[in-house]
Amino acid sequence: MDARYLVRLSAMAFFNLILALSPQVGPPPVDFTRDIRPLLSDRCFLCHGPGDTAEVGGFRLDLREEATEDFGGAAPIVPGDPANSDVMARLRHKRARRRMPPPESKLEMSESEIALIERWIQEGAPYAEHWSFVAPRRPQLPGDQGPADQGPSAQVDEWARDPLDAFILARLESADLKPSAEVDRAAWLRRVSYALTGLPPTLSELDHFLAAQEEGAYGKELDRLFASPRHGERMATQWLDAARYADTYGYQSDVDRTVWPWRDWVIDSFSVNQPYDEFLTWQLAGDLLPNATREQQLATAFNRLHRQTNEGGSTEEEYRVEYVADRVSTLSTAVLGLTMECAQCHDHKFDPFSHEDFYGLAGFFDDIDESGLYSHFTQSVPTPALDLPTPEQEQRALELEEAVVQAEARVAQALADSTPTTDIAGQLQGWFPFDSIDAATPEPTEDGKPGTPGPKERLRNLAQEDKHGLAHRELSLAEGFQGQALSFGGDEPATFPGVGEFHRSDPFSIGLRLWVPRNFERAVVLHRSRAWTDSGSRGYELLIEEGRASAALIHFWPGDAVRVQTKQALPLERWVQVTLTWDGSSRASGLKLYVDGQLAAVDVVRDHLQRSILGGDIKHLSLGERFRDKGFKGGRADDLFVYGRELSAAEVARVVLEPAPPSATALDAEPSELQTALEDLRAARRARDDARGGVLQVMTMSASITDRSTYLLERGSYLSPSHEVEPHTPAVLSPFPPGANKDRLGLAQWLTDPAHPLTARVEINRLWQLAFGNGLVSTPEDFGSQGTPPSHPELLDSLALDFIESGWDRQAILRRILLSATYRQVSTQSASAHEIDPDNHLLSHAPRKRLSAEMLRDGVLFSAGLLVEKIGGPPVKPYQPAGLWQEKSGKVYHPDKGEGLWRRSLYTFWKRTSPPPSMMIFDAAKRDVCIVKRAATSSPLQALVLWNDPQYVEAARKLASRSMRSGGDARQIAGQLFRRLTSRVADEEELAILLQLQQEQHSAFLAEPEQAQALISVGESALDTDLDPSELASWTVVSQVMLSFDASLSTP
Amino acid sequence: MNDPNKISGFPNQSTRRQVLRAACAGLAGATLAGQLAADKGGLLPHHTPRAKRVIYLFQSGGPSQIDLFDHKPVLQQRNGEELPESVRRGQRLTGMSGNQSSLPLAGAQFKFAQHGESRAWVSELLPETAKIVDKLCIVRSVHTQAINHDPAVTFLQTGSERAGRPSFGAWLSYGLGSRNSDLPEFCVLITKDKGGQPLYQRLWGAGFLPARHQGVQLRAGADPVLYLNNPPGVDGGTRQRMLDSLRRLHEKEGNSAVSALDRIEQYRLAARMQTSVPDVADVSSEPDETFELYGEDARIPGTYAANCLLARRLLERDVRFVQLYHQGWDQHGGLPAAIRVQCKETDRASAALVIDLERRGLLEDTLVVWGGEFGRTCYSQGKLTSNDYGRDHHPRCSTLWMAGGGMKPGTVYGETDDFSYNIAENPVHVHDLHATLLHQLGIDHERLVFKHQGRRYRLTDVAGRVVEDLLA
Repeated sequence: MDARYLVRLSAMAFFNLILALSPQVGPPPVDFTRDIRPLLSDRCFLCHGPGDTAEVGGFRLDLREEATEDFGGAAPIVPGDPANSDVMARLRHKRARRRMPPPESKLEMSESEIALIERWIQEGAPYAEHWSFVAPRRPQLPGDQGPADQGPSAQVDEWARDPLDAFILARLESADLKPSAEVDRAAWLRRVSYALTGLPPTLSELDHFLAAQEEGAYGKELDRLFASPRHGERMATQWLDAARYADTYGYQSDVDRTVWPWRDWVIDSFSVNQPYDEFLTWQLAGDLLPNATREQQLATAFNRLHRQTNEGGSTEEEYRVEYVADRVSTLSTAVLGLTMECAQCHDHKFDPFSHEDFYGLAGFFDDIDESGLYSHFTQSVPTPALDLPTPEQEQRALELEEAVVQAEARVAQALADSTPTTDIAGQLQGWFPFDSIDAATPEPTEDGKPGTPGPKERLRNLAQEDKHGLAHRELSLAEGFQGQALSFGGDEPATFPGVGEFHRSDPFSIGLRLWVPRNFERAVVLHRSRAWTDSGSRGYELLIEEGRASAALIHFWPGDAVRVQTKQALPLERWVQVTLTWDGSSRASGLKLYVDGQLAAVDVVRDHLQRSILGGDIKHLSLGERFRDKGFKGGRADDLFVYGRELSAAEVARVVLEPAPPSATALDAEPSELQTALEDLRAARRARDDARGGVLQVMTMSASITDRSTYLLERGSYLSPSHEVEPHTPAVLSPFPPGANKDRLGLAQWLTDPAHPLTARVEINRLWQLAFGNGLVSTPEDFGSQGTPPSHPELLDSLALDFIESGWDRQAILRRILLSATYRQVSTQSASAHEIDPDNHLLSHAPRKRLSAEMLRDGVLFSAGLLVEKIGGPPVKPYQPAGLWQEKSGKVYHPDKGEGLWRRSLYTFWKRTSPPPSMMIFDAAKRDVCIVKRAATSSPLQALVLWNDPQYVEAARKLASRSMRSGGDARQIAGQLFRRLTSRVADEEELAILLQLQQEQHSAFLAEPEQAQALISVGESALDTDLDPSELASWTVVSQVMLSFDASLSTP
Repeated sequence: MNDPNKISGFPNQSTRRQVLRAACAGLAGATLAGQLAADKGGLLPHHTPRAKRVIYLFQSGGPSQIDLFDHKPVLQQRNGEELPESVRRGQRLTGMSGNQSSLPLAGAQFKFAQHGESRAWVSELLPETAKIVDKLCIVRSVHTQAINHDPAVTFLQTGSERAGRPSFGAWLSYGLGSRNSDLPEFCVLITKDKGGQPLYQRLWGAGFLPARHQGVQLRAGADPVLYLNNPPGVDGGTRQRMLDSLRRLHEKEGNSAVSALDRIEQYRLAARMQTSVPDVADVSSEPDETFELYGEDARIPGTYAANCLLARRLLERDVRFVQLYHQGWDQHGGLPAAIRVQCKETDRASAALVIDLERRGLLEDTLVVWGGEFGRTCYSQGKLTSNDYGRDHHPRCSTLWMAGGGMKPGTVYGETDDFSYNIAENPVHVHDLHATLLHQLGIDHERLVFKHQGRRYRLTDVAGRVVEDLLA
């Protein structure tokens, strides 16, 4: 062995473990994956790494061929020859300006790290592909000598309960550590109960398990816990963080939204132990599965849970691309364990993912008919949206649809029987010649005095005198088609209250003459709506888009609407008559455009009108302007007419020629058979459409956009699209399955292909983290080169392969972990473990874990007998300090009355801009973005929650009364309280502390009974009037102490 | 708990112990040790700080620089004329005014005068601020990126438009820890009942930093910190007995669990907060003179003036960072009337705070910052009339002032063009502002980093420079 090494090694504390790890003589070779790549990545890749970063550094250190290339007489790395490797010279350069990493990087390489690199170069500078980009390989079981198997070592045989234990033990032994003793049964049951159900064991469950002698008692407990409906709730809670689930949209306005049915689907999925590959496939592409069920479609809401905005003045496309990017980031963090979001603006600096790769993935999520802004003025569910009818609603819908079909048939019959008429007088609501603007008589004020003239003046309606239009003062008259016409400035409208208020089931016709001064890219000619993007365009409208007439009826643009657009542009600088007719069918074929009386050829832009076009503060029909939209600047309009029925082509042709409104002659006539049939049809459609409006809707993915191209966005900006990018997955990962479509379903097939290097490992890591607090990869959000390499790579691979072979059965893996000897260790750290492996990477003992925010609250409510166990449904609003919503946004939080106060925490209403404080103080995720690991911090505020939040004060009282009622003396009451919260039996010293406190409190409360009464009156739950107030209050204080006790707040 | 880097108050489980651990954790630890040493950029502060505390008077909604500080006679002369394309240069507008048929220039309808020795222009809307201009460092060339409130406020407060990043105060808490053992090191005060553009928890959140670094809101009313007050029926005696019992339980439990020992300290601190917070919030001991300075509003809890006073009391107790929010500056229409109200609510107390800090000897090492998330347009959103106009969001320039903390007093820095549209001289990007503020606190903004998702994140992202010209 080279003497130089010995000298250097002895100087370095870092090598202690390496020496310990190697009972054989001499240090083991440096491991590139574990020791070198993380170092190079962290200090060098920023300039000498993947992607265009190398333009800064000139060469890449992540590729051996470049790192060892001769750059004019010197190579960065000369394998086996550190002395001639430029890297070494630069790392140790005496002049700071020449030294690497350069001073301006603010990064440093320590001498021990440099020495490590030197040794690695000396050993030939072997490279390896990044571990997580290579598919897992079946490792040899430690102790297994290969084909000539001599069986595992004696210690493995003795201690291990599962093959996974052998991997743990091997690392422990090589570090001169021993596994810890087995934990007692009660502690194990507490651990697994929280792990699998998020709740502690009950006293009888504890008793039962402690008494159970039979073989397999541990496994039976797991069976019970897996079968419990609480298991689905517990597992769902973790996934909600990853899915950035919340009950509001986020961003500043943060309006409520309905997404809880997706949360309930997640609970169901875990409850039935849905295989993980299917769990992913449904969420990513449920809508693309053949004959997709409602559940499969609902699962896709996963990709709509990102934040959304409706802030006034925002650019729709800016946010739409942001949503798509969020889907990519969430998928990569939650499922791939990658930091793909780094590549949104440029090539990834550390991992071999290009800027192009990011948009390749974005291309998969660009296929839905969505808007970047949700509606401010309406409650529309942003499209695409899935209907979730109740069974009764579904049945009713079938009946109503049948009625429509029959009514349509009767209309068809009546049409066939009738002779075509051109009765152009029928149901005329308005005829506005625009020949004058009449000074309006000011409306008198309430006290009868003459009012001041308003800004609007009258426009005569020849069809109904009292339904006159209003012209804003800014509007003027100009030469018309005949007489005068209205002329528009683009910022002010003419409005027509009481005219044209149509349901989507009402046939109607509207026409007018237009003078179009120039080729508008977009101009609002006529509409009955509140706004453009601020209301999802709800209503109906006639626009000019790229010079063409464009008519639409809209519930929420773009996914719930019909729109047709003339193929020909409208003529400029001459009068042209445009009429739109609508048959009430909710189909694009029922929306017709006529130009100068001739039916115009149109392109159908959208044909998916599902819901109402009314609502959301729509005030009136308007011409020439819309809120925050582009007005009809410089345009003129003449002879506007509005009919409450669909005009036939012949009628349109006639009306266009009419100089004045036809007189209402036909009104007295008996309604014809056709008229009756049409009226019946309208009523049938109205009934159907109204019923539809009451059905719950949830945002989902629904592939409908086939013509949208995805562009690479320079610096991630929507303003800088560069070139088109086809959907694709990063080349460095496993190949896209041949034959799979380049859509979300193909993406899911790629992810769940057994050859995929990441999917199974990431999920195994998540399950390991659930059990041990840390994953085998302690950076679950980053399996890339900046992440921490796995502590037990062979174990991770072994479990990943087992997982795939099991059919992606998560419960099977969890069961093995929870039954393992590793998991069953006590949590006390030995002195040697403290010295050698203080952070317990090697798992020489179990972790003592603080309960999560949810477990803490749910467990306390459960122990107190307060928890209302009811699965699913709309979110609930438990206690919360008053005013928190109001001071930020003016909205008011009204806590629920009754059971909503005591439901499990995953049902708590999650408002992103003001999440429940008692949960946040205990490190709950904010749910703005995907989170796969929560920190467990400690702050004084946590104590204040436990002591003073009415939720916990009330629970303490209920815990006290419950324990008192179960009988026994003070010792027994105290003992029960203790055991309910900690799952273990109190010892004498602990009992003495509690009993002393109870006695002191009892005396204090006897002296001040009103204090006792006050304390036991906190909360909405029923008062315990049958118990002595002072006694109850004193036990409540004891309960409060127990709630703050570390053993109650953690798993042992 | 013996960790020398541990900060009392909100325990900062510093990385030092972990570094030591990592040092003996072998090769796997070798990189870890390097990372951790680099995590905070070494020992903090990086250099001698000029400021120990910060109070940020955030004017939410975007105050109009044109009507307050950035005097533009050209706009008044050319009132009503169309915004020249040579000025706008096709830059994007919001959807609120971007579709207007015209963009008429709107001069300020307020009188401007020069004040102090610095001859700084201040409008008649801010008479009290005008009196202290020689204490202020006014920057008229702050620019940002986002054009809508949410991303712009998020950017100003976290250095990024995206959600999930730590706020300025959280970075300080993480980097410097607390100077006070009884109060949160990062306090948030919001003017009550203002309305306007909504605020959100995220703005004072810890992002990916540990949750203990998040801002703690101090609220007007009975429970100044959430859950601060004992429940009915629990008095000081009961609480003390509870604490004693908990201490005994935990001392015993500590034999098997280190976390139990940490609880003792955690609970002791919580109990201390229960007295220290009401103390600081109780202004009844303030002399009348205080209210003469801040205005009578300061007697009404939750007003801007009361919050300024409360901020001073927090700073006196060495709270590191106080973040005030005052909503209502988003004047898209009816600006002249609305801005008067805003100024009346804030002018006197803002100036009073600076004066008060100075006379108490605190201004020297306290940084006061006043400003919003962006500026406003020189053209009118909506109709321009003889006495009314509105202004839309304008990210390309805004005015902000700072005082104390080693900033150069009596300074007016940066120039905009004649239209207060583009910056003509000495631009100060939000990242530059952050870098400069951190610098005054003794922090090299490039070295205050936190590794998250494999990347070293900074408040200043990958940009920012210290604006030396602003430093005293």
